[in-house]
Amino acid sequence: MSAPTLDALLPALIEWLPGQRWFAAKDRTVSEVRLIGQQEITPADAVPAVAHAVIAVSFTDDGPDDRFQLLLGSRPEVSGDLEHAVIGRVADRVVYDGLADGEISRLLLSLIVSDTTVGSLRFVPEPATEAPIVGPGRPLLGEQSNSSVIYGERAIMKLFRRATPGLNPDLELHRALRRENSGEVAPLLGAIEGEIPGDDPDGGVRPMTVAMLQDYAANSADGWSMALTSVRDLLAEGDLRPDEVGGDFAGEAHRLGRTIASVHIELARALGSERLGADGVAAIADWMLERLDLAAGAVDAVAARREDIARVLTGVRAADDGLLVQRVHGDLHLGQTLRTPRGWLAIDFEGEPSRPLDDRVRPDSPLRDVAAMLRSFDYAAFHQLAEWETGNEAPAYLQRRAQEWADRNRSAFCDGYAAIAGTDPRDQMAVLRAYELDKAVYEVLYETRNRPNWLTIPLRSMVRLIDDPDDARDA
Amino acid sequence: MNDGTPTAPTSTHVAEPGHEVVEPSAEDFRRARQLPVEDDWYKRAVFYEVLVRAFADSNRDGFGDLRGLTDKLDYLAWLGVDCLWLPPFYDSPLRDGGYDIRDYRKVLPEFGTVEDFVEFVDQAHARGIRVITDLVMNHTSDQHVWFQESRRDPEGPFGDFYVWSDDDTRYPDARIIFVDTEASNWTYDYVRGQFFWHRFFSHQPDLNFDNPAVCEAMIDALRFWLDLGIDGFRLDAVPYLFERDGTNGENLPETHQFLKRCRKVIDDEYPGRILLAEANQWPADVVEYFGDPEAGGDECHMAFHFPLMPRIFMAVRRESRFPISEILAQTPEIPHNAQWGIFLRNHDELTLEMVTDDERDYMYAEYAKDPRMKANIGIRRRLAPLLDNDRNQLELFTALLLSLPGSPVIYYGDEIGMGDNIWLGDRDGVRSPMQWTPDRNAGFSACDPGRLNLPIVMDPVYGYQAVNVEAQSNSSASLLHWNRRMIEIRRQHPAFGLGDFHELGGSNSSVLSYVRQTVDADGHRDVVLCVNNMSRFPQPVELDLIAWKDWTLTELTGGVPFPAIGELPYLLTLPGHGFYWFSIQPGQER
Repeated sequence: MSAPTLDALLPALIEWLPGQRWFAAKDRTVSEVRLIGQQEITPADAVPAVAHAVIAVSFTDDGPDDRFQLLLGSRPEVSGDLEHAVIGRVADRVVYDGLADGEISRLLLSLIVSDTTVGSLRFVPEPATEAPIVGPGRPLLGEQSNSSVIYGERAIMKLFRRATPGLNPDLELHRALRRENSGEVAPLLGAIEGEIPGDDPDGGVRPMTVAMLQDYAANSADGWSMALTSVRDLLAEGDLRPDEVGGDFAGEAHRLGRTIASVHIELARALGSERLGADGVAAIADWMLERLDLAAGAVDAVAARREDIARVLTGVRAADDGLLVQRVHGDLHLGQTLRTPRGWLAIDFEGEPSRPLDDRVRPDSPLRDVAAMLRSFDYAAFHQLAEWETGNEAPAYLQRRAQEWADRNRSAFCDGYAAIAGTDPRDQMAVLRAYELDKAVYEVLYETRNRPNWLTIPLRSMVRLIDDPDDARDA
Repeated sequence: MNDGTPTAPTSTHVAEPGHEVVEPSAEDFRRARQLPVEDDWYKRAVFYEVLVRAFADSNRDGFGDLRGLTDKLDYLAWLGVDCLWLPPFYDSPLRDGGYDIRDYRKVLPEFGTVEDFVEFVDQAHARGIRVITDLVMNHTSDQHVWFQESRRDPEGPFGDFYVWSDDDTRYPDARIIFVDTEASNWTYDYVRGQFFWHRFFSHQPDLNFDNPAVCEAMIDALRFWLDLGIDGFRLDAVPYLFERDGTNGENLPETHQFLKRCRKVIDDEYPGRILLAEANQWPADVVEYFGDPEAGGDECHMAFHFPLMPRIFMAVRRESRFPISEILAQTPEIPHNAQWGIFLRNHDELTLEMVTDDERDYMYAEYAKDPRMKANIGIRRRLAPLLDNDRNQLELFTALLLSLPGSPVIYYGDEIGMGDNIWLGDRDGVRSPMQWTPDRNAGFSACDPGRLNLPIVMDPVYGYQAVNVEAQSNSSASLLHWNRRMIEIRRQHPAFGLGDFHELGGSNSSVLSYVRQTVDADGHRDVVLCVNNMSRFPQPVELDLIAWKDWTLTELTGGVPFPAIGELPYLLTLPGHGFYWFSIQPGQER
């Protein structure tokens, strides 16, 4: 597959891209697709042939371009198994999404295991790990922003769809945690690293993370669906409290708190931590206030309470001897945790995908992650009630039950965290509350724009965080 | 024949001049007919634990007995069980349900005679049912003649049969098991003027296995019953046979050495018979009781998997598969000729030693709302009352029992959903008479009701007029018929007993799914898929069955074919506490 043939594929890509789950800009109309980088992994006449490509996508709204990575397979003909992955026909070849082809996923794995460089692509095994047996992979279904293939039940390879210059924090932090022999993440087994033209048109190329290979957490379930199971069990009971029903989640929440505290300790050990002086803390407060003004400009309910919110947010300055900061997960919620038969794992260390890389790798307080988990327990508690018949509020007694569930599990999570960290996050209540309210305000903005049904969840929390600043009941 | 150790003439011990302890020999009795030797029968068997005293009374004395049990063998054959396990029926003062043995070679008079026992085994074998019996090796009753001699005459032949000491300070690391009743593992004996060692009740002195004569005497007790025709032993309390300073006295190497010796006796002299270990320990320790994996296992053929049972209860209460997934993931591989024994309930309490403290508190809170239900570190309830008599849960639990890896042990009466009587002392609450009919004494005995050894359960929900074999036999929708059908289905699929175990996972944490698979000598593959909903609510689940792409599923209770397995995850929906058993077979075109 030589360069001219790939160019011939671009019109087909315009049709194909919007149908892909990982294509983030579904509400924008694609105007142009350009090829900005490519590397053949096999000779172009191999069967199958495979090439790595980076494309830039422009839109009719003249907004900023998006960049994505593709792994393109091609064969003279494709069998029925691959038809669903076909992008288009170029010259005498059918081109398709390469991850759907077991022979291609097998090749990618073997290149990693044998530590190979092909042009600008480096396939690197993680040192001192047991290589998985090379075999065909099978695509994981139902993924949102990236694409993964599973090898047996042993390993999973994730292709990062968004092409971003620099080391992906997901790979960076997994590598660091691997050095710490962390039992709280699925161990890293290897990676594919490549290059991408820098944002500066005249500048050279910058490194980029193509894919990462890690242990597959077989027989796991995510924390969000498990928490919802527990809430469902509680709300179906007429008169039992959260600690009395069979589906009590507090034991799991406690273990989860321990897991997250361990991750923080390991990240600090691997990548360091520092005490942020007054200026640094002020910068964090300013950044929170910026986000507040953004939300206040769009949502009346936020604007009406802007001053009250700002007062709580500046509580982040309450850390009088400075704020201890380190690398954190950055986008933690129950959906980023997996329960396995051996305990909990944290996954997806990319950070909030919508934020620029510089923001995502900036050291922050571990309390940001803790606050994010506390927010997630609120979401889990009230999720079912938010789906209540439109126009009607759920009955007050159910809201009380849900609040009790949230209180119990938030508190169990903090207990578990404190048991490992040695310090209780609730000891820095003003800082924790600032982080939590910052997150809630962001959620209010997000739900207003995207999921109005769910708006009541963060709105309720926002009001509670403003009005009960000394309420010891919740975290 | 027994690894070169000289065989002591144990049938006769001279206690002192003119004072002989005489024990009977198997030659003195008729022997039961034998079933053909089958090497792996215990891996495929469904076991049934039956208490002689609680099953059927043939002579109106209020005690169940061996003749009564023999009369009920047709029922057990109809139910479809393969092997009966009899807890101790030996002569005993009955201060610990018969686990306090007074004479290893005599039947408790209320139960009958050794001749009655041989007739029972013979009749069981005539119906294709095997019999294993409990043997307590660790200790005897303090009324056993060995102990009486030992305390009377320290210098005599039995002087060293027990563990004696001048003070009560040795072996401080050995935990006290019966914390409700015992303050120490040592008790002072005023006759001998020394302390004796006991891991259980103070009326149950531990035998001294460091004395070769004790080992010989115990092996001869095994031979006595094996010669009469039984198919094996459940060895009670095996981890505690030896004591060593600086240890907790559990799972010591010396104990394993002795078990290897017992196994060699079985292999050399009684092929096809089995040893089943009761070792209430974590699976990683219990696997030691199977012996050397290289040799395929050279100690016990079977061992109970204790921690699995409370985890099943916890998983259903939590609506999460993880309590079960966790314990199975922590369960090591076992030698190829070994098998787990699994159970939901037995004559002991719901054992909670194998859960963490948090979990134990939780189990108390969930299952023992009445404090009388706590016994030692467990809960004394039968299966049906533990599950609030919920038919859906009873079926789910039984389906798990019959399909998880291991040979299932059904506790008598649970097949009809019998209740318990928590107001009876110790563990008698779950040992009430079998409920056969709605007639007087539930058909268990024709004696005056006041003579019954234990009262019949009479409450409105579980009482014998509501729950009995006769009524359930007449209704094809009854729990009894359901259990019989499930046992029959299990028999048709060797994968349940012999198959390996592979958990499928899936994103729904409330659904526990696994595949059991075995290939026989002719290359015939038997694959069974089990899907269990731990939640009381209906659940969907998507299963990754890609390894069986294009194969078809057939539901096992009705034979209904389900859609073939394709590229995509296989979608199933289950009702609350529902389950499926499927056979996975190659598609027609293959």
